[in-house]
Amino acid sequence: MNYLKLLSVFYRTSVQTDMEYRADFFVRVVASLLGLCTTVGSLAIAYQYTPQIKGWSFAQALVLLAVYYLMDGLIEMFIAPNMREIMSQVRQGTLDFVLLKPVNSQFMATFRTLNVWRAANLLVGTGVAVYAIRKLAVEVGPASAGTFALTLVCGLAVIYSFWLVLVTLSFWFVRVDNIEQIVWQAFEAGRYPVEIYPHWLRLTLTYGIPIVFIITVPAQALSGRLDPSFVGVAAAVAAGAVAASAAFWRYGLRFYTGASA
Amino acid sequence: MSDTTCSGPRYYLDVWRAHLKVGMALMLQYRFAVLIWGVWGFVGPLISLAVWTAATQARGGAVANAANGVAFDRADFAAYFLTFMIFSHITMSWDAFEFAYRVRSGSLSPHLLKPVHPIHADAANNISFKVVTSGMLLPVWILLFLLLKPTLPTSAVSLCLAVPALLLAAVMRYVWQYCLAVIAFWTTRVEAVNQLYFTLDAFLSGRIAPLALMPGLLGAAAYFSPFRAMGAFPVELALGRVPPGEILPGFLLQLVWLAVAFLALRVMWAAGVKQYSAVGA
Repeated sequence: MNYLKLLSVFYRTSVQTDMEYRADFFVRVVASLLGLCTTVGSLAIAYQYTPQIKGWSFAQALVLLAVYYLMDGLIEMFIAPNMREIMSQVRQGTLDFVLLKPVNSQFMATFRTLNVWRAANLLVGTGVAVYAIRKLAVEVGPASAGTFALTLVCGLAVIYSFWLVLVTLSFWFVRVDNIEQIVWQAFEAGRYPVEIYPHWLRLTLTYGIPIVFIITVPAQALSGRLDPSFVGVAAAVAAGAVAASAAFWRYGLRFYTGASA
Repeated sequence: MSDTTCSGPRYYLDVWRAHLKVGMALMLQYRFAVLIWGVWGFVGPLISLAVWTAATQARGGAVANAANGVAFDRADFAAYFLTFMIFSHITMSWDAFEFAYRVRSGSLSPHLLKPVHPIHADAANNISFKVVTSGMLLPVWILLFLLLKPTLPTSAVSLCLAVPALLLAAVMRYVWQYCLAVIAFWTTRVEAVNQLYFTLDAFLSGRIAPLALMPGLLGAAAYFSPFRAMGAFPVELALGRVPPGEILPGFLLQLVWLAVAFLALRVMWAAGVKQYSAVGA
């Protein structure tokens, strides 16, 4: 079975389904732009009183915000719909049908669908990124574009693994969607530079729920402030996270009994 | 219980007692999920507080608006955003989403067949949520006050006046939010409209920054808006930041906007129910 071919079939059918709900896209764009207004506005008002907050200029904070939107868009597009589906399948016992398919269960469960309209945040994020980079007046050469893309992928891999572990926990605890809410609350904090938070929270956002890794690092790469040697570290962490979560998924499957059984 | 006349204060008292009982049982049943929703309210104000605290540090201790001479230091911001957080919890309302879902799924129909307006059950539910969660969140609020060491209110009179202002704000927000909900009769979805409401609210209610620190025109627009009346006004009153001459106009604005909301709801409801065709049926 060719996995790439399978993936293209999965995504094609998802897009076809989403096309039925075109109005959704405009709603998403409007909602996304209004949300952006609020965050940019609150930053702009604070920056009226000071040129820099904890070493971040307004333009640098906007780059961070842009990456937040890009990440949010990518997560809601590719990762979230699948992970939420698994949680509800565990509750209803319908995960059995996924596990019975003659392909890798993790692939089948976590790449089954995508939500194309969530790309709205990708558009908004790209717009903010372009504006902020011009305001910042830094050259984005192929090198920093490359490190940015790489760190973005690493960040996605980390959040994918984090969520996969969470979903696997539902084999034992069934209801984990409340924990998901807590993760989103932490993610919300990542819109702003973590330096503004108290020490303990900064540590949590760096090592506990790795928001720094997912948002701050790619933002630094984009504005050319990232130490190039850190890319290797990022790749290693991402690879480690993917491997560990996959192992945990395989271990967890042994305890999955099917809610209906 | 078999009161056949479906009107009068006695009847509504019974209706409310029953709804509150059901609402409380419901909230206690899902207490953990309910608590998580309550905690969501912490995120926004605490992030705003972090941003402004960092700004005061960059300015050497305090942020002052040269246009009106109002200044906030770290403790002032802590007082403002903590009070805002608690008041937001007490005034919050989420009916638009719930109502739109009912319109889409057709599950609104049985509610319409009841002899009382569905707003009674929904409002009772709202109050139950706040009673249950406020009880659970109270220790956290106290802890935050102890940790963040805010400036404490100076005027007892002002603090007492904040109580009716807060209650008016809660009723106002509820009725306004129900107006938004009723839009679902026409659109079946309210996400975009609701997002617009939240964005306006963020700027004009004082949620993202004290209104006195807002740039000129925005601050002036906020002063007369319904959003200040159901947001910053009770907060500023509690903290003694409303000048004595502004207190009465503030209450009057609350009453005017509340009346407007009630009127709008009546008109929209009457037109909307005619429009409703039970989507799921």
